[in-house]
Amino acid sequence: MLSPTEQLKQFVQAILPLDEVVLDAFAENWQPFECKRKTVLTAAGETERYLYFVLEGVQRSFYIGGHEKQEATLIFTYPYSFSGVADSFLTRLPSFCFFETLTASKFLRLPYASLELLMQQYPFIMQTILKATSLTLHGVLKRQVELQCFSAEEKYKTLFTRSPHLLQMIPHKYLASYLGIDASTFSKLLGTVKITS
Amino acid sequence: MKKTRSIELLDQQQSYVRKIIATTTLVRQEDPELLLRPPAPGKWSVIETLEHLNSYGRYYLPAIENAMKESKSSQEWFSPGWLGNYFTNMMLPKNGVVTNKMQAPKDHRPPADLDVKPVMDEFLKQQNHLLDLLEAAKKKNIGAIRVPISISKILKLKLGDTFRFLIAHEQRHLVQVHLALQACKSQLAKV
Repeated sequence: MLSPTEQLKQFVQAILPLDEVVLDAFAENWQPFECKRKTVLTAAGETERYLYFVLEGVQRSFYIGGHEKQEATLIFTYPYSFSGVADSFLTRLPSFCFFETLTASKFLRLPYASLELLMQQYPFIMQTILKATSLTLHGVLKRQVELQCFSAEEKYKTLFTRSPHLLQMIPHKYLASYLGIDASTFSKLLGTVKITS
Repeated sequence: MKKTRSIELLDQQQSYVRKIIATTTLVRQEDPELLLRPPAPGKWSVIETLEHLNSYGRYYLPAIENAMKESKSSQEWFSPGWLGNYFTNMMLPKNGVVTNKMQAPKDHRPPADLDVKPVMDEFLKQQNHLLDLLEAAKKKNIGAIRVPISISKILKLKLGDTFRFLIAHEQRHLVQVHLALQACKSQLAKV
C-alpha cells in the first residue's frame, strides 16, 4: 500500500504531471491529522486555514440559514481528494458554510501560508492549483444546472449513475439534503428507480 | 481530566465551539417570538440565556487576550489544575443533561427588553473571536499563562483550564437553550 505522501503525489500527478523536484517540494510540508466522526473542522465565519487531502472517511460542507430548509449539504468528499472549504481557503474570506466529518477521518493538511509560498516559488504548483480549481468550478456549475433544472428523479439518477458507491458510503438523509429533496421522496426513489450504468 | 497534549486540547475545544456556532446558527432561524418567550414563569428565554453567556464573554475574551500577551511559548503537554477540573466538571452537562442547577450572579443576569438580532450577532461574533484565541493559544504555554476568574480577581486559572471552563459553561447553557425552545414550541402548538 502507498504511504499517505505517495497517495498525495499520485493524486497530484493525475491533475498535472510535475517534475520530481517540484512534486517533492509540494508534498513536503503536509501534516497528518485525524479526528472522530461529526467533528466540525471549519465553522461559518471562520476563514479556512487548511487545504485537506482525504485519506480516510467521508466529509461534507453544509450551509445553515435559509428559512425554507434548515440546512443544505453542498459537497461530499472522500478518499482520495482535496477537501476543506475551498472558496474561503483561496479567497481568504470568511466561510459561509460549515465543514464537518461524517465518519472518523484521516487527512494530510497544508496551511495556507505554506501553499502560498509554494505557489510563489513554483509556477507549476500554481498551475496545478489552477487546474484543480477549474475542474471544481466545472463540477459546481454543472451541479447548479442539475439543482435548477432537473426533477427529483433526474437528480437522483444523475448522481447515482455517476457515483453509485455514494449510496453505500453516505447516510441517506445527507444524500437527500445534497439533492435538495426531502427524505421521504428520496426513499421513494430508492425503492422505484433502477440505476443502470 | 488528566494530562493531555496541548494541541489536542485546543483542537477539541475548537470543535466544541464550532458545534456551538452551528447550533446557534440553526436556532437563529426560529421565529423571534419563540426566542423571546420564557419557557415557564421566571425562566430565561433563549435570548436571555445567550445574553447571559455574552456577559461572560465580555469579561473573559479580553481577559484571555490580555493574559496571552505574555510571551510563554507552547509546551507539548498540559496538566489541568484541580481548580480547573473542579469548575469545568461543575459546568459540564453529563450525557447531555444538566442536573445541578445554579444561581447566576447578579451582574450576569440578563436585562429585560432584549432584541434578538444584537444578542445573536454578539454571541456569534464572540464565538468566532474565541476560535481565534484558541488558534493563537496553540503557540502559547497554556499551562503557565494564567487568567483571573470573573468572580474573584485573586483566583487565577491556567489558560487551558479557562478555555475548558468557559466553553463547558456555554455547553451547559446550550442544553438550556434547546430545552427552552422545545418547551416554547409545544406551548405554542397547544394554543
